[in-house]
Amino acid sequence: MLAEQYEEETGVVVTVDTPGPADYVAKLQAAAQANDMPDVYTAVGATDMAPFYKAGWALRLDDELADGWSDNFTPAVLELTAFPEGNPLEVPAGSYAAYWELATFGLLVQPETAGIDAANPPTTIDEMIDEFNDGTFSVAASLTPSLLQSYASNYMTDEEINATFTGDAPWTTDAWENTFQLLVDLTEGGVIANDALPGGSDDNPTVEKSFFNIQDTGAIFDGSWAVAVAKTTAPDFTDYVSMVLPAASDGDYEPRSPGVTGRGAAVNAKGDHVDEALAFVKWLTEPEQQKVFVDEAGMIPTNPELLDSLAVPDQIAGMASAIGDIQIVPVQLTADVNDAIIRGSQSIVLGEKTVEQVLEEVQTAQDQSS
Amino acid sequence: MTTPTAVAAARRQDLAPRKRWPYRKHAVGLLFLLPATALICLFTLVPFAQAILLSFQEWDGISPDTPWVGLENYERVFGDQVFWESMKNVLAFAVIGFFIGNAISLGMAMAVHKARRARSFFRTAYYIPGVFSVVVIGLMWGWLYEPSVGIINRLLVSIGLEGLQQNWLGDPALALGSVAVTFVWYHWGFGFILFLAGLQDIPAEQYEAASLDGARAWAKFRYVTWPHLVPVTTIVGLLSLLGALQIFGTVQVLTNGGPGYHTMVPTLVIYTEAFTSHRYGVAAAMSVIFGGALVLLALIQLGLTQRRSRS
Repeated sequence: MLAEQYEEETGVVVTVDTPGPADYVAKLQAAAQANDMPDVYTAVGATDMAPFYKAGWALRLDDELADGWSDNFTPAVLELTAFPEGNPLEVPAGSYAAYWELATFGLLVQPETAGIDAANPPTTIDEMIDEFNDGTFSVAASLTPSLLQSYASNYMTDEEINATFTGDAPWTTDAWENTFQLLVDLTEGGVIANDALPGGSDDNPTVEKSFFNIQDTGAIFDGSWAVAVAKTTAPDFTDYVSMVLPAASDGDYEPRSPGVTGRGAAVNAKGDHVDEALAFVKWLTEPEQQKVFVDEAGMIPTNPELLDSLAVPDQIAGMASAIGDIQIVPVQLTADVNDAIIRGSQSIVLGEKTVEQVLEEVQTAQDQSS
Repeated sequence: MTTPTAVAAARRQDLAPRKRWPYRKHAVGLLFLLPATALICLFTLVPFAQAILLSFQEWDGISPDTPWVGLENYERVFGDQVFWESMKNVLAFAVIGFFIGNAISLGMAMAVHKARRARSFFRTAYYIPGVFSVVVIGLMWGWLYEPSVGIINRLLVSIGLEGLQQNWLGDPALALGSVAVTFVWYHWGFGFILFLAGLQDIPAEQYEAASLDGARAWAKFRYVTWPHLVPVTTIVGLLSLLGALQIFGTVQVLTNGGPGYHTMVPTLVIYTEAFTSHRYGVAAAMSVIFGGALVLLALIQLGLTQRRSRS
């Protein structure tokens, strides 16, 4: 729809190629290897995109941002997306992608099934575990790193979390032990559905299906993008609320959701239409276009004006409220660490490994990545 | 001046048959083989050689630089516990696929061969799983195994066996077996069709003769059916073994190697190294080790089968 509108307004033809989310990065790698990269391409996580940026496949956007384009983005987004000097991914410092979606994490809860009072929701994890019905909570294995990063903010500042991700601070600290203890508490509290974290390549869609479509799960941990999934797959199901992850009873800080960028794009610096591609991406990030994404897909925008006047659906209000105090952790987990956390979390829930064992493995993965 | 004797000798030499190119009579055959050989070289041997070369280099999949790192990638692979654990898992898949999978295929082929009615229906029905995409199969079985609303658990409840309900893919004790069941179901059609073709080639007179000699069912199978099926069994056994060792899609869709690493297989580790961790050099080293092991295993199995055939 937006591509057609852009073509009408400017005469520039935009051809949208949709390879689908599965194996997107692998397909993009194949395109780079074949020297056949598109003029504009979706920018996903920093770890996946870093090789493309290092190889010169993305235009540095810093000059354009400094020239007024940055007004279209809330400062937190710019901070989250810029590669700092000396980053562990070894990408030259700068910004390489523009994003029009900001995502937060939290709980989606169907109060009756979960067993909580929506008007008086639990404020601590202990209360949540007490109130939740048995086997009512689910989180996809692939989202456990985000769950744990959310909970880590009870015990650490953003700088401390960032230092762990860069490898400058160890994983084997009391703060991380307290963080991973969440999985033990949820397991011992009996609230995890089927006593296991769903895995497989479609683990989060499976969890979302059990919440939105089958409705046999009372609460799930997910990103704010899940609302777009619900709008598409279960438009009639609106009997749920979102909320930030409750605080730890023994936390040192106010909990903060990880702030992650959602949909965004990079411009191919070696493409045949660099100027046209850049103009199109800039147009996509303007408030009018971001509003379309908000209205059509329920996205949380990155534009400050839209964020201030954001009229989000009731279901996403709880997650959207986290925007005001999100974690600013520019460095992402490496693939090795991410994988170690996912598999370690499954093992903790199954009672196969202790928190200490898993943290040792995560530290080994961190050392291996460095 | 030329003497008459010399002229005669020269004539004899002219009349003698020319020394022919030794491969002349095979030339046409070789010519027909040339396109296939060229394609195998281009798409199998050259990439394999490139993989060996890459296993001594470092590459993130995008960068134009591929620095030489010597044996560093191999050192990393030899110290990688996950890779070696995945080797153990895939051996379990191979044993299940080879013995149980082929036994089921053979059993089904014999049953259909003996069936007097609806033979075409069963032939189609048994072969059908193999025509679907592995992603479709994975999603379908994912729903069958789903712990709360999956068909298997629902079925158990409906027949009063609630106690047997399981988290088929989430329980480490069951996950590998559950994935193996899916794999066997998906691949049994291939062995079934070949075994059926092999059974249909066995002359009926041999069974009649065996009956006249008083042979019962087991004796007929042991001394008539099985010897005739040896060539088919060799090829089915080899291909099903290699197929099981290269299992990828079923595992990726159903469990992604989890829970933990309980269903992790080498092909998935290699894929993750290359496409998620961007360590193509390490992935290539793993491929060389794993591919070498597959070739070795195939040669051993072929050698054993040939020895058995000769004896």
